[in-house]
Order: sequence, then C-alpha cells, then structure tokens
Amino acid sequence: MLEVRGVNVSYGKIQALWDVSIEVPEGQIVGIFGANGAGKTTLLNVISGLMRPLSGEVWFMGRKIHTLETHRIVRLGISHIPEGGRLFEEMTIRENLEMGSYAPSAWRRRQESLREVYQIFPKLKEREDQLAKTLSGGERQMLAIARGLMSRPRLLMCDEPSFGLAPLVIIEFFRIIKSLKERGLTVLLVEQNIARALEIVDRAYLIENARIVFHSSSSDFLQNEYVRKAYLGY
Amino acid sequence: MLATFVNVLFDGLLMGGIYALIAIGFSLQYGVARVLNISHGEFIMLGAFMTWWFFTRFFLNPLASLLITAPTIFIIGFFLYKTLFTSLRKTSGAGFEASSLLLSFGLVFIIQNLAIILWGRDIRGYTFMASPVRILGAIFAFNRVLALVLSVCLGILFYMFLARSRTGKAIRAAAQDPSVAELMGVNMRNVLSLCFGLGILMASIAGCLVSMMYEITPVMGLEYTIISMIVVVLGGLGSIPGCFLSGFILGLVGSIVNYTQPGLSLAVYYFLFVAILLIRPSGLFGR
Repeated sequence: MLEVRGVNVSYGKIQALWDVSIEVPEGQIVGIFGANGAGKTTLLNVISGLMRPLSGEVWFMGRKIHTLETHRIVRLGISHIPEGGRLFEEMTIRENLEMGSYAPSAWRRRQESLREVYQIFPKLKEREDQLAKTLSGGERQMLAIARGLMSRPRLLMCDEPSFGLAPLVIIEFFRIIKSLKERGLTVLLVEQNIARALEIVDRAYLIENARIVFHSSSSDFLQNEYVRKAYLGY
Repeated sequence: MLATFVNVLFDGLLMGGIYALIAIGFSLQYGVARVLNISHGEFIMLGAFMTWWFFTRFFLNPLASLLITAPTIFIIGFFLYKTLFTSLRKTSGAGFEASSLLLSFGLVFIIQNLAIILWGRDIRGYTFMASPVRILGAIFAFNRVLALVLSVCLGILFYMFLARSRTGKAIRAAAQDPSVAELMGVNMRNVLSLCFGLGILMASIAGCLVSMMYEITPVMGLEYTIISMIVVVLGGLGSIPGCFLSGFILGLVGSIVNYTQPGLSLAVYYFLFVAILLIRPSGLFGR
C-alpha cells in the first residue's frame, strides 16, 4: 500500500534520513521504532508531504506522492497524527473533529464520521463543546486520534500516541489501534515504547542515526539479540 | 449638555466602528498570513477613491459601487498574496515576516503613485445622504448613522463567518497551527491568500464609508495603517472580538480628545500605543 524507496532528507547540513526504505502492506500495523532524534518523525513528515526528500520516492496505492502537496496527500487517504497531538487549542472538541474532515469528500460524510468516532471515544461526545485546551493528557491523545480518523483515511500514521500517558491508558490506546486494524485500517505506528507496541504490530523497522538498521516481523524482532540488549534491556 | 454628550459619544462610536473594521482586516493579514501590511491604509484610500470616482463620474450610489469595488479589491489582494507573497515565502523562509513588511512598504509607493496619476493630488469629497438626523437633541448627517450601522453589521457578519463556516474554521485553524491545518487537508496557500484578500476587502469597505463623511487624499492611507496597528496592539494580536472592542475604545478616546483639544487625538493614540506596549504587551483582551 505504502512504499518508501531510498529516501534521503536533510535539515541544512544535518542528514535526517539516509537511504530509508520501508513498506507498509494493506491491512497491517507496521511499527517504526527508535530513540529520540533517530529520524522517525522526519519519515512521517516526508510521507505526509510536510518535508521534501532530497532523493528517493514515496508511493501510495500505486501513485508517486512525494511531489504532491500535503493537502493533496490527505485527500488520497493518508492521515498523519502528529507528535503530541497538536490540537487546535482555541477550538472546541467538535470543531477540532470537524477540521479533521476538512477535505471535501470527508466533509460530506462528517456527521457519519462523528457518530463513529464518538462511538469509539464516548468521552469526547460528553465534552464536545469544551475548548481543546481544557482536556487532560489522555483525552488530548484521544481527540488527536479521533481527529485523524475524521478524514476517513486508508492509512493512519500515529506519531508516539503513548508519549506521556499512564501505563493503563497506553494499554487502552493500543487496544483501540488494534481494533482500527480490524475495521480494515492500515496503521503506521511510530513508537519508543517498543515492548508494548510489539504486542500489536505485524512488522517493525528500527531506525538509528537516520538509517534503518533492522526490520522483521514482530515475532522475529524480539529474537534479535541486538534489539533485546539495546532497547528492551534483557 | 446632553446633546454635547451624545455628539461626542456618537462621534466616538462612529470612528470606532471604522477603526474596528480596518483593524480586523489588519489583524487577519498579520495573524494568519503573517504580513504586517504597511499598505493596508492604501487600500482604504483606494476604496475611498474608487467610491468617489464612481459617484462623481457615473452618479453611482456609494453603497451600490461597493458591489464593484469590494470584489475588485478582494481579487487584487488574493492574487497579490498568491503571486508576490507566496514566492517571497518560499525564498525568505523564517525571515518572511521582515521581508513581507518590506514588500508591503513597497506597495505603499506603488499604490499611492498610481492613485496620484489616476486621480491627481487634490483633496476630494462629495455629498451623499447628508440630510440631518436628530438623536437625543444632537444632530448628525444620515451618512454617519449609516456608516456606524454598516460597520457594526460587517464586524458581526465577519465574526459569524469565522465561527461557523467551514472556511472560517480553516482560517482559525491555520492561525493556530499552520502545518497541522495542512495535515487536515487545508490548502494553506489558498487560505492565506484568502485572508490577505479579505483583510484588504475590509479596508476597502472602510474606505467607502470614510469617503461618505470626510475629505479624501491619495496620501490619507498611512494614518489609517498606524491606527490599525494601534487598535490591534490594544486588542491583543489575533483576537477578533478584541479588535472590535478596542476599535470602539480608541474611537471614543479620540472623540473625547477631539472635543476638548482638537488635533491632539493622534498624539493620544501614540501615547496609548506606547503605554499598552509597556504595561500590557499582550493587549487588553489578549491571552
């Protein structure tokens, strides 16, 4: 479904991605793991068109998308939930959700999408007229994911949805992401919480210093000695 | 005594309505499109001159000529941003705010000189709906009452547009977090051009109202640009209700000063401007 081929990206003189290639098959959850600053967020930014690669290609559903502008890429069915949620703080929860379905095709079906999203996150419905800035950490992340679903995407890209959340809330979030896969959504999940994320991903890539150093199915991932020592501590 | 009071109050509200209108436009351009538009006042002047020209040349009712003037100016603004400012955005990156200020400064000279070539340097004016109206013993020209009502209605209309419509929400989202707005599918280039165009549209409507009541010259713009800047700082950057209220506050202050010491109002505005920056830089209604 999504294929990134040999992408190089730099911020000025600092190279942020070196020859990165990944593949996300339809209907799967694919994890991108790595430490802070390894290049995970940059990779998502390249896919959603917020950054342009120096070289390399991004293909989505048989189309080259790395030359398209972000708002076009959204309309093709990619939803990028940025790190930390990045809510529209001065807008209500409902307005945040409506912004999620801004693209014309999604806008026509926004009432339907709202119902579906409220079913997944009933708490959001209770507070739909509150400003986003009044929400707690867990609720903020809920709203961020819900807003990402409002565009009715085929591919959902989540940037560290578990960051800063309590362990129980994290489990709940990963359960929700897994249930989205069961509804037919493809998910690209960027995470630092590797142990938890491995429970739901089908395959995973490890990024270190701007390069993909390792990739495998989730079961093989745990077998790799380097990964276990460096990231899981056993 | 009551008549004097009503007179001063009404004058203040009237000026306030126009100040609010131009400041909302200015705030939209800076708050969303990141252009500190020094040429804002020139579009007020353009609006005023176009109205005057249509009235004296074709005997076109100023309100009817708005139907031609406002869309024309909007389109000029939209494409100015889409061409000049968008390419400037690409080349200047983080320095966009400084370079866009310089670009708009350049526009001042171009527009002003175009106006002088087209209409000459003379002070112009015309009489329209100037029949007297009595309110609580004070007497006003009808066009002033009309201007006040129109500017309040426009302010409210614009606020509703931002609060309710799909495009209005996109503008607010773009003001808060442009890159996330893009991730929602908003075409930022169009939204920014739209904001710039709408800002200038407000200016041209204000210009139309001004031309009904005061004399106009091709160099009248700068004073209004400065006033918009003061109102926006007074109200708090990016707050439309703040702009609206502080426009009226400044108008009232101006009319009280004008009543006691005619000609001092601009000096008092500057004083207020500096005082606000020193005491409460976030503005009266800022977060």
